[in-house]
Amino acid sequence: MMIITLIRRELLDNLMTFRFAAAVFIMLLLVVANTVVLIKDYDRRLESYDVAVKSNHDRLLESRTYSSGSFEVVRPPNLLSIFNAGLDKRLSNEIFVSYGFVPTLWDGQVHGSTNPLLNLFSSIDIVFIFEVVLSLMSLIFAYDALAGERERGTLRLVLTHPVSRGKILFAKYMSAMLCLLVPLLISLLLVVILLTTSTIVSLKVDDFLRIGGIILSSIVYLSVFYLIGMLISAVIRRTGTALMLAMFVWGFWVLVYPNVILVAVNLAQPSQERLASAFNQIEQIWDEFERERKDFLANDPIPGEESHFGIEGGSGLFETWYKDKRSLLFSYVAASYINKLDDEFEPQVPHVQNYYRFIIPRKIDAAERTWLVRKQALESVYFRPAIVDRIFLRLSPVGMYDAATQAWAGTDLIGLRDFYEATRKYRRTVIDYFYDKNAFEDRKWFSPDKGSVDWNSLPQFSFQRSVVDINAMRALPDLLLLLMMNVILFLVIYLIFQRSEV
Amino acid sequence: MIWHITKRELYDNLNSLRFALATVLLFVLMLINAVIHVQEHPERMQKYHDATTKSLNTLRSRTDLFSIAQEGPGNLYKKPSSLYFCEEGGDIFLPDYAYGIPRVQIANNLRGFWSLYYPGAFPNIFNLRPDTVKVDWGFVIGYVLSLIAILFTFDSISSERERGTLRLMLSNSVPRHTVLIGKFLGALVSISIPFTLAILMNLLVISMSRDIDLGVDVWIRLCIIFIIAILYLCLFIALGLLVSSSVQNSVASLVILLLTWCVFVVFVPSTLASIASGFSNPMTYDEYFKRRNQNIRELKEEYVALLPETRGLPDKKIQIDSEYVIKGTEQEERLSQEQLNQQLTQIELARSVTRISPVTLVQHLLEVFVGTGFERHQQFLENVHRYAREYREFVTDMDRADSDSLHIIGVREGMSKKPISPESIPAFEDTLSLSRDFNAAAVNLLLLVLFFVVLSFAAYLVFVRIEV
Repeated sequence: MMIITLIRRELLDNLMTFRFAAAVFIMLLLVVANTVVLIKDYDRRLESYDVAVKSNHDRLLESRTYSSGSFEVVRPPNLLSIFNAGLDKRLSNEIFVSYGFVPTLWDGQVHGSTNPLLNLFSSIDIVFIFEVVLSLMSLIFAYDALAGERERGTLRLVLTHPVSRGKILFAKYMSAMLCLLVPLLISLLLVVILLTTSTIVSLKVDDFLRIGGIILSSIVYLSVFYLIGMLISAVIRRTGTALMLAMFVWGFWVLVYPNVILVAVNLAQPSQERLASAFNQIEQIWDEFERERKDFLANDPIPGEESHFGIEGGSGLFETWYKDKRSLLFSYVAASYINKLDDEFEPQVPHVQNYYRFIIPRKIDAAERTWLVRKQALESVYFRPAIVDRIFLRLSPVGMYDAATQAWAGTDLIGLRDFYEATRKYRRTVIDYFYDKNAFEDRKWFSPDKGSVDWNSLPQFSFQRSVVDINAMRALPDLLLLLMMNVILFLVIYLIFQRSEV
Repeated sequence: MIWHITKRELYDNLNSLRFALATVLLFVLMLINAVIHVQEHPERMQKYHDATTKSLNTLRSRTDLFSIAQEGPGNLYKKPSSLYFCEEGGDIFLPDYAYGIPRVQIANNLRGFWSLYYPGAFPNIFNLRPDTVKVDWGFVIGYVLSLIAILFTFDSISSERERGTLRLMLSNSVPRHTVLIGKFLGALVSISIPFTLAILMNLLVISMSRDIDLGVDVWIRLCIIFIIAILYLCLFIALGLLVSSSVQNSVASLVILLLTWCVFVVFVPSTLASIASGFSNPMTYDEYFKRRNQNIRELKEEYVALLPETRGLPDKKIQIDSEYVIKGTEQEERLSQEQLNQQLTQIELARSVTRISPVTLVQHLLEVFVGTGFERHQQFLENVHRYAREYREFVTDMDRADSDSLHIIGVREGMSKKPISPESIPAFEDTLSLSRDFNAAAVNLLLLVLFFVVLSFAAYLVFVRIEV
């Protein structure tokens, strides 16, 4: 009973304050203004996505031979990037799928970008607003929770009643959290209302669950900062000093630490030697492939080493080696489309068919072998440092919160990697489709003269984001870290408060 | 009397926790900044140097006028600023070069001349690392110093009022404005001391490095940057005094100040920029390529249609070839210029709107004097344009000087065949001038001063009228 009275007293004290009104007002203002901007931006990206999907599909339908089919797949924008943009806008959103190489995170490009200079302005998402404003508000609510009462002497008065100190602490904590939840929940409610009323967005049940996860993480984050403030308040006897310390802690953890720590980690540069040796290995694999190809052409009854055995007519053959040492991209891409096959070349046709039946599976194989090398090198040079960075960021509650909400939204590094995983799967689908149709030895592989390819039976690419359970699994470690911090902080405060004199 | 109050404030501050914390914070940040700069700067200069030499060597390897006129100057690089540690200015998001190479093929054996193209910088596709703000002076001044200013002043008047010491002081027949000025100077001096020391330590570390030498010009720029930083500090102190004297309670004063700080320093620059950039819609890259292909196709068709008329008339063919080379080149350059202009206009609008926030003002000012960022990029583009004009004039002048030439620019047969000495080909050099920078900075500087004057006047008015 006593505890309810205590909570009620604290709640009324807090709710009527000026700081509370100011917090609510500023939060709502910032959240609404930014949500409107973010929805508009999402709208633009969605439109650009639709255009890209359509134009890619049209291009595929235009290609009349199997070998010249172009499979460019596009990543749809993530609606929840409004909450935490993460890497959603940064990484490539269009990627070329070919049997000749296995796509990775580093091979994509960006469609629909209007002005790269716009990157000059940092973009804000809703979680960022919470990160900054909520933590500040929690500290301002907390710094005088104990020190203030101690100074005024009311703490002594309360303790004359038969209440345990733990209960007092708990009552203070609960009431402040209830107060802080008001601006958080109202602003999130506004965001959801704005989202549901805008015509372009349709939220599914899963999305609501993810938003629920983001809210949960926000509450735990809020609580961490409140407890930090309370700890300061328990240790330091004067409110003025407690306030100053709380503000510097805030400035350091929210503003300074995330920017400084990465500079310190940054000094380890990606190793050029690792890339160079991997590139060497990849070159060898392709050399071997090229040797086999040349051997085949040399042993063929038709003289010369030309892949079309002298067939001419229409546009012919397009071949190119893609090379990029930075991303270890090395691939041989060839497309042939001989529009008109004269009768005089008819005897060569079986040879060409034979050649493609021999060479394409070997090329697929070579591509997959290079991928194994590539994957390891790229992971160690680019991916692992990025993971290490994120571990260092997690030494601040801001980093944990950011990581947890990104995982819920699916805009984190792992969530985006799912897309590249899907493109690799789609590449397999395309290859299986070719095998099904016996496409390599088909005349339509290189010439549409006796009818062109019907692409309609090819399954289309569609990227399904991970289900909500997986999001939850990915968010769990950070959420648990935050919870653990809460428990530890509360215990420490309790111990200090138990032993302190009032 | 002012000095007396200032001194008292100063002693109070020097003994406080906030002074110690602020000093430590400033020193650590400035030290990190210096160490990073000492490590990175030589590398950056070396990269620029290698790139320009390579591009110059390719340029000088050409000896005949036609290939000089056709191939163009190649890559033109932006010179990195030696004051990079002061303000990075989003330089990684700005392309550090433009290029001039031939980009149109009009017919199988007819290629257009070189034209300028401005690539976009997409550094983020490769970058998986989390987004961060670079710890440069701009960050330290814009974010940390302003926060410190608020933390030093939020209670300077309200707490004295709470304790009743303000009444005591005013009963000593001290004019009120003297008290206010004294408080202002006290805060200013006590923040300036650690800030100045941190800056001096930073410069000491940087100038001790063997690979970096700062010239006279650079020191002048550094002085100007320091003055701007102090002006910005004054602005936030004035804001602190204003709020502190208009609110009874010092916690309320802090809450107002911090929220104002958050809104103006953290949120306004990005939010307003996103809103303002929504007003214009520059050409997308897809659109650009579509238009370009369309243009080239039309040009080719026109050219092919004219070809039969020239059969057997080599003179006429040369005339027409030259006409189409020039037309194709101009068309190409016009389109990329149009795209660039649309992009620049969008950014300019967004940047001018965000000047409502003092932190943006200071960042823009720093960018100007440091020679990084958007303003500098525009200067670089101007340099590129001037150079392009010079280069084209060089070609026409050399052709005109040769009496054997037919003076038909665009085709090999119509142009001078005399060898050109490699040294006479103009080379591109990117430059920075201080007097120019002043003009670019004047408006921002005036706005900053205006904000400061308005805030201090308001603080004065409020303080004169309050009851103690």
